[in-house]
Amino acid sequence: MAWSRRRHMRRNLLLLIALTLLAGCATSPVQPWERGRLARWDMRWDPDPLKAAMAEHAHFSKEGTAGTIGAAGGGCGCN
Amino acid sequence: MAVALLAAAAPALAVEPGAAAPGFRLAAFDSAQQVSLADYRGKVVFVDFWASWCSPCRQSLPLYDKLRTDYAAGDFAILAISLDEDVADAKAFLAEHPVKYTTLQNPQGDVAKAFDLKGMPSSYLIDRDGVVRARHIGFEPKDIDALKKEIDGLVAAPAHAS
Repeated sequence: MAWSRRRHMRRNLLLLIALTLLAGCATSPVQPWERGRLARWDMRWDPDPLKAAMAEHAHFSKEGTAGTIGAAGGGCGCN
Repeated sequence: MAVALLAAAAPALAVEPGAAAPGFRLAAFDSAQQVSLADYRGKVVFVDFWASWCSPCRQSLPLYDKLRTDYAAGDFAILAISLDEDVADAKAFLAEHPVKYTTLQNPQGDVAKAFDLKGMPSSYLIDRDGVVRARHIGFEPKDIDALKKEIDGLVAAPAHAS
């Protein structure tokens, strides 16, 4: 009985914390017209696409697999 | 508290077709003049929100410039509002993609907030009475034909006496 109540309390507390954190995200969403900084080339995951493609190629050549980096499927080296 | 935070973050009501266009008064790029939407009452106005970092805008600006020449200046006008935070970026973009229509600066983004844009680029077609008749989010070159039909319809309609 006591165990069940404690579990409920813990669940409710977690739910409350999760909801509060969720609301925190909603206070200042980036608006569509505020994305200038995010659209800068140096904000990209790979600022240099050519360099990234070369690094990826070297990586999967060494590993003997294809599609190891972000691509769907892969691992079999057959595509 | 969660509810209170959510309520505080509730966005302004989006400007939908049928609603009066929020007024604005902004600095132009090519002159020291301030341009206001109210100056264009009686004309069909196409308000386009763009930015130098918005890639579809590279296509849309030249196509809108061509669209402008299809109508008489007394019937139709384009007001393109740049939302670049750094006005120099927008100036460089305009130097690269020059347009003949009026381009305005809104680095603070308050006009974008008043219209509550849902995406970039966004454009609004406003009739002779200052009422929003169409809203477009995003841009593809093929959108021009549908837009032209909408403008044709609005240009043909006379303004209501007010």
